[in-house]
This record gives sequence, structure tokens and C-alpha cells, in this order.
Amino acid sequence: MCSLISIFTTFLKIGAFTIGGAYAMIPLIRREVCQRRGWMDDLEFMDGIAAAQSCPGPIAINLSIYVGYHLRKGKGMAVAVLGTVIPSLISIIVIAALFTRYAEAEPVRRAFRALKPAVVALIALPMIEMGRKAGLKLSNCWFPAAVLLLVGLADVSPVYIILLTIAFSVWTSLRKRSL
Amino acid sequence: MLELFITFVKIGLFSFGGGYAILAMIQQEVVSHHNWLTQGEFTDIVAISQMTPGPIAINAATFIGYKTYGIPGSLICTFGVILPSLVLMLVLTLTYLKLRKRPWFQNIFKNLRLLSLGLIGAALILIGKGAFPDLWSVGVFAICLLVSWRWKTNPVYVLMGAAVLGMVLG
Repeated sequence: MCSLISIFTTFLKIGAFTIGGAYAMIPLIRREVCQRRGWMDDLEFMDGIAAAQSCPGPIAINLSIYVGYHLRKGKGMAVAVLGTVIPSLISIIVIAALFTRYAEAEPVRRAFRALKPAVVALIALPMIEMGRKAGLKLSNCWFPAAVLLLVGLADVSPVYIILLTIAFSVWTSLRKRSL
Repeated sequence: MLELFITFVKIGLFSFGGGYAILAMIQQEVVSHHNWLTQGEFTDIVAISQMTPGPIAINAATFIGYKTYGIPGSLICTFGVILPSLVLMLVLTLTYLKLRKRPWFQNIFKNLRLLSLGLIGAALILIGKGAFPDLWSVGVFAICLLVSWRWKTNPVYVLMGAAVLGMVLG
């Protein structure tokens, strides 16, 4: 089983390399928590992503709470959140105190010009395998495709789509009387 | 300082959809409503939050807290913005663990997993929009894709490699 220290250091690493938003955490958590350490399977992790998006607040924090609680209940949750937050706190306080023009510095701009496409590649790669595990077929691929277009291009808030999906799922279950 | 805390609790509680939704909410509260920051300062904070490791919302909260009340301020803002998550996400996780064997609940998550794929795709579009201004960045993308697919390299090393490559050759 996993110790609190190892959860903490794992999330410290994840927090330090979450660049450009919560989705950049997905390949990192999947690698550390699902593949390398086998603390959680892919389906449980994907359910966590779904739940983290359905809840208000920063998705990265929601996902840490979910994974941390799964691993070691309340204490696991606390160390996972601390691990995610500490790299932010330290780097931002240092930047705010010493170096407010940080974002304009040439080496930083250069690094980030390369980091952005790298993050895109890292998020894109596991999608094929995750799609397979989520049961993606020709008959149902219209649904994620529609979500992608609505949220990515038409700027529709994911909340409405999530609520509709939940309502629809409950309704189909009720119809099949499989409660 | 209490007002700052309450404001960030509110931001955490009412922002759905992650980073960018939260930034919009912060702008409304911190710039338009309370005048703790000017629009120009806020724009700087957004740039810094995106170009610093860590979740964007946490970065922005820490920065604004530091600008207003120093280190205690940054701790208070960060704690404020994650407090609603701690409560609500815990409830959601407990519900999930309790109900996940029920067929109707599994049906919800079966559909939400597909929805997640769509949302990850949408995030790719949003991040990808500003990520490919030239051939150089397409090259970095292709190298990262190849390296992590072929050798299953740890994403942490891929990111470090990209940062160094960017600084040296970009």
C-alpha cells in the first residue's frame, strides 16, 4: 500500500509539472498513480476526471482530492492537496517578491514556447488508450465529438453538458427499470 | 483580510469548469468589484500564472494574496479558493465510493467518461490555439509525441527536455 510520504512527494512532483491548467495533470497522474505505482486503475481515474469537472473549484485540486481520498482517505486527501499547492505557492511568492517581470524574460518565454506544444502532445497521446477503456465505439463517438465542438469551439460551459448527461443517464436507467 | 478570504471562497464556490472560468471570476471580483488590483496588474498576473508550474487558479490566488497582504495573504487566498472544493469534492468522492456498484450510477459514469474525452479534446483545442505559432513549435510537438509514444518516457522528463530545448534553441 502507499505511504502518506509517497503520496505527498508524488503530488509535489505532479504540482510542479502541471503547466497550463489541470488537463496537463492528466498524463502526469496517469503515469505516476496508475501505471508506475498501480494505486488506481484507468477507469477509476477517468471517473475522477469526470467528477472533478462536475464539481466547482479548480479541477486540478478536485482531482487531487479524489485521488488522495481514494488512496488513504482524509489524510491522503490532505497530503495530495498540499503536494499540488506547495510548488505553486513557493514559485509564485518568489516571483511576486523578486521578479514581477518574470513572464517577459527571454529564457522564460523561450522555454514556454516549447512547453506549450509539449503539453499538447502529452495530453493528446493517452487519449487513444483512454478512449478504448472508456468504451469508445463508432456508434457512440458522436457524443465526445459533439462535446469537443460545443466546448472547444462554441464556448459552451461544460456544466450544462454534464448536468444534461447525468439527467439523461438517470432517465435511461429508469426506463430500463434497472435501478 | 477576512473580506479577501470570503471573496476567494466565493470564487472557489461559483467557478465551474476550471482555470479560465476561475480567472474570469477573479477578474470580476478582484478588479471590477473590490479594486484590489488594476486591469493591467491583473493581465500580468494571468500571464505569470500560465507561465509558472502549478494550477492556474492557485497561482493567481497566491499572487493576488501576496500583492495585497504578503505571505499571509497568499496563504489565505489559496486556502479560500480550495476550501469549497475540499468540502464538495469530498462529498462527491464519498458518494462515488458508496454508489459505484449500482447499475444506474455506473450508467452515469459510463456516459461521463465519454464526455470527459470530449472535454479533454476541447482542452487540447484551447491550449493548442496559441501553441503553434511557427514550424519550430510543430517540431517540438512531433518530437515529444514520438519520444513519449516510442519509449513511454515519463512526462516529467519530456517537459524538462522541452523547456531546456526551448531555452537553448528557441
